[in-house]
Amino acid sequence: MTRMKKILFVDDDRDFLKSQSIFFRGRGYEVLTAENGEEALQCLQTETPDIIFLDLMMEHFDSGFSLSHQIRQQERLKRIPLIMLSGVASATGRRFDQSQEELRKWSKVDAFVDKPVTGKQLLKIVEEKLGTASQPKQDGR
Amino acid sequence: MSKGRVLVIDDEYGIRSGVHQILEMEGFEVEEAETGKEALEALERNGFDIALIDYRLPDTDGLSLLHLIRSRKLDIMTCMITAYANIETAISATRQGIDFFLPKPFSPEDLIGVIDTLIRHKIIKREAEELRKAHEASLLALASEKSQTHSLVRSLRDAVLVVNREGEVVLANPAMATILRKDTAMLLRQPVMEVLAAEPFSPVRQALGSSNPEAALLEIEIGEQQFMVSRTPFHSDSGEILGQILTFSDISEVRRLALEKSRFIRTMIHEFRSPLGAIKGILEVVLDKSLGDSLPPYLPLIDRAEKRIDGLVELIGNLLSLSRIEMEGRKKWNPEPIDASPIIDEVVELYRERARVRNLKVQVSLEMGLPRVCIPAEDLRTILSNLVGNAIKYNRDGGKVEITALRTDGKVRIDVGDTGWGIQPQNLPHIFDEFFREKRKETKEIEGNGLGLAIVKRLVERSSGKIEVQSTEGVGSTFSVFLSIGSPS
Repeated sequence: MTRMKKILFVDDDRDFLKSQSIFFRGRGYEVLTAENGEEALQCLQTETPDIIFLDLMMEHFDSGFSLSHQIRQQERLKRIPLIMLSGVASATGRRFDQSQEELRKWSKVDAFVDKPVTGKQLLKIVEEKLGTASQPKQDGR
Repeated sequence: MSKGRVLVIDDEYGIRSGVHQILEMEGFEVEEAETGKEALEALERNGFDIALIDYRLPDTDGLSLLHLIRSRKLDIMTCMITAYANIETAISATRQGIDFFLPKPFSPEDLIGVIDTLIRHKIIKREAEELRKAHEASLLALASEKSQTHSLVRSLRDAVLVVNREGEVVLANPAMATILRKDTAMLLRQPVMEVLAAEPFSPVRQALGSSNPEAALLEIEIGEQQFMVSRTPFHSDSGEILGQILTFSDISEVRRLALEKSRFIRTMIHEFRSPLGAIKGILEVVLDKSLGDSLPPYLPLIDRAEKRIDGLVELIGNLLSLSRIEMEGRKKWNPEPIDASPIIDEVVELYRERARVRNLKVQVSLEMGLPRVCIPAEDLRTILSNLVGNAIKYNRDGGKVEITALRTDGKVRIDVGDTGWGIQPQNLPHIFDEFFREKRKETKEIEGNGLGLAIVKRLVERSSGKIEVQSTEGVGSTFSVFLSIGSPS
């Protein structure tokens, strides 16, 4: 049996985490969730996900960016695809002083996706980044 | 008194003396010159109003002489007399600045007519020049203490810089001097391009250099400050442009507000997108039947979706309130004094059920004979609903909500206290900011959009009231509203 691919969602919206967990578990993925940067870093001490979705988390200013910057500094986590989800158009959050390009470089985020986003949209990204097209779906619908 | 001084330059004795006699009889003072050299000497020696120049002279020609006269900037009218009149000579003479052209032979009447015309021209020219100088002087008078307009311009909040036609500063008010970090006196008579040589002024210099006489508006940034600069030409009564007026208005505050507004909108977008994202995710799972075909496993999710929709509806309501407060803020505010007690009772009644569910004790103590307060009843209802609602939301199960109203220091003070989680000291200064919410484990589950207290503060303040908060983390918070007492009608 091949190892289940692991996805880490970091988002402060618990309902969003819940629905994404159900959606991706139903498609044969292992889903890890964290509600803030602290939880995410803690989780990453023992886990090595195949892909990470990170909310920009506007309430915490640029914590999404700082978190990805911190993740990228760890050798083991360096090459994991990291996707930034953002509820703010153009994804710059409150850091108006820096351009998105600069932030992308600094935080080493692979891509930005605007919220609201569906599981299907995220699934497409997962399949693309991990080359895991057509993972079996549990209820076989 | 002579009608004017005329120099006749001609090598032909007959013409010279003829002209001399005719003009002298007409009341002019006349001198004669036979050559160009003699003419220049005469011109250096004496001031003349008119020079009559023969086209052909023994040592030079009339055009070269004319050129020399013009290059010496002599204030003199010139008329060329020649027997060789042709179009080309006429054109080149006119180009060199000859004022009149008189072909030989001419009658005495012709001569007198020409000389009279030239003298009139000269007088008009002189008057125009004097007028221009007078305008200039009055411009400079603006800058001196003598002028009333001066003290008016001095006290303007906007910076003013007046520039004459020569591009010199003739007036700068203290606001302008502050921007330029110079003394007003130091700016006077300085070339404006040098005064505004610093990089931030480059658009202004460009506007001043532009040949377009129309007024122009532009924006510049000097350090942290933003200015709207207007350039307006000013005219004499006859419509002639005498100079330019530059005004610099500090629009930093307007800019700051605009920026704040756009930040608000961005936050608002986030506040909409998060719940929409959550609802969308939940619907997708349901439609996808990720948890199988039967409904029950989905019910908690659907319940969450419903709550998120409620949150959105509340958000819209709050945004509408904020916008209404902003719109009404421009009107004159003079609310009728009202009795606060029944409104307090009414709001507390509305929240009794919610408090009961949380097993909270609600205590109300209102001072007897509380004076009327100056605030619209609807505003007071909204303020109390928010405060009492929060006191319940952020309380511990089994805690207490205490509402008191009393008269103090000429105000009515209404306190709403709770025994909840309290507010962290570092968050207290932000608690009334739009969209601000504490991010804490203890309160994470509590629904809210961070607009309630912002609305409360605005409502209190627009009725000249005051709101204060006292809080101890882990113990509870008390919000105190101070309202003006209405004069008994």
